[in-house]
Amino acid sequence: MRRPFVRIVSIVAAIVCIVAVASCSKAEPKQAKGVEINMFQLKVEIKDAIDGYAAAYSAAHPGVTVKVETLGGGGDYGGALKAKSQAGQMPDIFVIEGLGGYNIWKDYIADLSGEPWVKDTDLAMKVDGKIVGFPVAIEGYGLAYNADILAKAGIDPAALTTRAAYEKALAKLDSMKKELGITAPVSMAASVAGGMWWVAAQHNLACYWGGGLAFDDTSVIDKALKGELDEARFTQYAKYLQLLFKYADQNILLNGSYDDQVGAFAQGKTAFLHQGNWVDPNLKQLGVTFTIGYAPHAFLDTEQKGLYLFAPSWYCVNSKSPNADAAKAFLTAMATTPEGHDYMVNKAGMIPAFKSVTLKPAGQLSQALMAANAKGGNYGVFFGMLPDGAGQNVFGPIFDLFAQNQKDLPRFISDMKKAVADLPKM
Amino acid sequence: MRRHRLVSILFVAPCVFAFAMNILIPFGFGLYYSMTDWNGVNPDINFVGFDNFAGLFSSPDFIYSFLITVAYTAINIVLVNAVSFGLSLIVTGRIRGRNFLRAGFFIPYLIGGIVLGYIWQFIFNNALVAVGKSLSIAALQTSFLSRPGSVIWIMAVVNTWQYAGYIMLIYVAAIQGIPASLMEAAEVDGANYPTRIFKILMPMMANAFTISLFLTLTTSFKQFDMNLTLTNGGPATRFMDTPIKASQLLAMNIFSTATANRMAEAQAKAVVLFVALVVVALLQVAANKKKEVEL
Amino acid sequence: MTVVAAPGKQLKPARILLGALVALLFAFFMAPFAMVVLNSSKTSREIIYNAIALPESWGQLLTNVRLIFTNPTVDYLGAFWDSTVITFLSLVVIVLFSSMCAWVLVRSKSVWSAVLFMAFVAAMVIPFQVLMYPLVRWMRVIGDALNFRLLGTVRGIVFAYLGFGCPLSIFIFHGFIKNIPYELEESATIDGCSQGRTFFLVVFPLLKPIIVTVLILNGIWIWNDYLLPLLVLGSNGVVQTIPIAVTAFAGAYLKQWDLILTSTLIAMLPIIVLYLFAQRYIIKGMVEGAIK
Repeated sequence: MRRPFVRIVSIVAAIVCIVAVASCSKAEPKQAKGVEINMFQLKVEIKDAIDGYAAAYSAAHPGVTVKVETLGGGGDYGGALKAKSQAGQMPDIFVIEGLGGYNIWKDYIADLSGEPWVKDTDLAMKVDGKIVGFPVAIEGYGLAYNADILAKAGIDPAALTTRAAYEKALAKLDSMKKELGITAPVSMAASVAGGMWWVAAQHNLACYWGGGLAFDDTSVIDKALKGELDEARFTQYAKYLQLLFKYADQNILLNGSYDDQVGAFAQGKTAFLHQGNWVDPNLKQLGVTFTIGYAPHAFLDTEQKGLYLFAPSWYCVNSKSPNADAAKAFLTAMATTPEGHDYMVNKAGMIPAFKSVTLKPAGQLSQALMAANAKGGNYGVFFGMLPDGAGQNVFGPIFDLFAQNQKDLPRFISDMKKAVADLPKM
Repeated sequence: MRRHRLVSILFVAPCVFAFAMNILIPFGFGLYYSMTDWNGVNPDINFVGFDNFAGLFSSPDFIYSFLITVAYTAINIVLVNAVSFGLSLIVTGRIRGRNFLRAGFFIPYLIGGIVLGYIWQFIFNNALVAVGKSLSIAALQTSFLSRPGSVIWIMAVVNTWQYAGYIMLIYVAAIQGIPASLMEAAEVDGANYPTRIFKILMPMMANAFTISLFLTLTTSFKQFDMNLTLTNGGPATRFMDTPIKASQLLAMNIFSTATANRMAEAQAKAVVLFVALVVVALLQVAANKKKEVEL
Repeated sequence: MTVVAAPGKQLKPARILLGALVALLFAFFMAPFAMVVLNSSKTSREIIYNAIALPESWGQLLTNVRLIFTNPTVDYLGAFWDSTVITFLSLVVIVLFSSMCAWVLVRSKSVWSAVLFMAFVAAMVIPFQVLMYPLVRWMRVIGDALNFRLLGTVRGIVFAYLGFGCPLSIFIFHGFIKNIPYELEESATIDGCSQGRTFFLVVFPLLKPIIVTVLILNGIWIWNDYLLPLLVLGSNGVVQTIPIAVTAFAGAYLKQWDLILTSTLIAMLPIIVLYLFAQRYIIKGMVEGAIK
């Protein structure tokens, strides 16, 4: 009778010790380190670069530790941030992708109007005359091409400025697949299952919202937000999309992951890749040596020569954090110091939105964008104005379904008409 | 025994407290939020009555999710139970290495839904496609996960892979509870193998079938983890003339509604799921009652 | 053991056919594991080129494992430790408090004990989805009110697991304790044991077989659980569990299959090893849990 009791008591005592140790070891050291700036960002492709920059910054600023967490591609950043805020772990620096994000988080967003980098950029996020967001980068896209393959097929990329030109070029590539060693002319993705709906239903659809218009002309998407689809314009767009789908590697289109899509292009298995300049580091990793450039998404019957440029996201500083000032200083250093510029351009391969940056990005696609930016005549990207979930839950399935049934153009148009008509209700 | 009220209360207190704090109170809030305009961030919450529910049964994505969840559950009930019954016959048979087999069939149950979803996604999207390419089998060259018509069947196969070993154990226990003499007598009487299975074995296992049926039913109805990592709801399909996600089961539909900041609507959908599960539970209670009467 | 079983005097070819069928079935059950091991030993490049070929060098497996454990974004080693601590502590409190609660509910024949028991049983019907978002909000509210943070902490999730695990555990203990003869406890009382000592000295040791069942049922669930930790701990919190780390990995690397598969291999290894050692108990425990 005695011994089991002793055993139980000792077990319980041991447990209490373990609980105490476990809960202490988790909580205490975190607070003891001085200022810790927690940054939560979603650009997977710069993960290693920003981790490195944060570590270097922490080392150069004793008493300040910058910790960066990255949520990737398929991840739901808004949901993760919401969970963090509900858990009382709101990061000091977080990302918003447009007005929708601003409206959700405005209680947490600090006014950055007084920061030294503000006058150095045109792309800061501005609401009611106040600067609220630090532009992460300039991003952009067109249709990336493998210049070697196009040269071998006798296609001049500079001539790809109308849908008709694309039609001819793609048909030619398709007929020469064997000689060129490609499996399909285009590497494009549209699948919900692969988490790649955004390539088609966000980035490609952005052509319809802004293509061929002035850089800040939002008239088409303004109309859509009121429930109206410009059918004549959309039909031209839909025909272009249909063309891309038709000549895409069907397996990648319907099912591929990001790796599959970029991998096929990097291996020279396709002539075109539908991705933005953020793939530069991936292409480098995959050992790409051929020349790459951007051709415009020319979907209209008339000529189009511009690329699509935007600041895809902004860093916001958590106004309720005790570390807000340290966080602002971290961002300022990024925008104004040589180390910050080196990180943005050389390490992360981004195109900074700050005019004082003189470094040239290494990536071929980033260079192409920078050249296009200097030349002008580019188009704006406005999908950030859409209501939450419209891209993923509404347009995503529509584009996926069109990829499955590529011949049914009228169906696609009527689906989109219906979906746009429902936008005001979202 | 000297029974102290205070000691009794102290003994039940930890569980009752944890139960109230984690289940009862949030459940009450959950019911309430389903009738509000809660969006997860805004602290002002207004009561809106049954507005959130009114829209549900005219929204194609929800109706579809509900229907395929029912279909998925039905497929699972048949598939899981048929396979696991077969497995239980194998591992209670005279085959060599039956203990080894039994242990092996059970292993998938130990793997969590998140992890096995990734594994099977890789198998369907990469491994089988690679097999198709190297052997030039056209049917394998497009992934099974990109076919909207059959995707829930694929999910059911994966689910069967996970659960069959577990349900098998229940059947094995039931089979081992049947007196050996009964089967031997039947064998001596000249009853052949199928007759023995259908006429003697299966009727004696009625109870195990009921348990397994409801176990499969409730787990399939609440399926989430594997759905998230295996198909992510994809591919798209058309329902009520609206493009929607072909493999988005109810639990995942609730999840993605909530992640689009429509918390109150998600809450209403969850209440519908709750009601459906209550109906299932009542059926189970009724089935058990009936069995007790028969005995 | 061979109670029912296969046809008695069978023809040779039929036996061979049956054997082949069983072998095939077994292969189907094991193939995914082979797939994981095979591709965990490859580089991303090798997988993209051919997902079913043998790896060029098995040493790559170690490289991948090292890549995962040294990854700066996803603290896999930390997640491993957290998962272990959370599972262990949750099991301890669930077993201890559920058995105590069940014992009182069985032995006291009052109305409230019947009502409580019914409440626990009925609550098993409630799907997690109905209360998950309110739960997070509620935990934050009481955390703020009492200045005792539950979200994002080990104690918070252990507390949640006690709440979610106790109904089934109480139900299982209840069924078992009902069949323990009351006389044992009476004689202890006559010997002068208090109520508390009677439970810990007399009843608790008798529960050993059913404790195994409760441990196993809850252990498998908690180790693999995804949604509750996701909501309570967050997807990028200080405290992380393995399923969350695996999804964080998949998200952060955009389907870099070499690393994802290696991370799944690391996630399932401990539980499979444990199973191989304690197979007999686990199988027995699972069956009893299901039939109860």
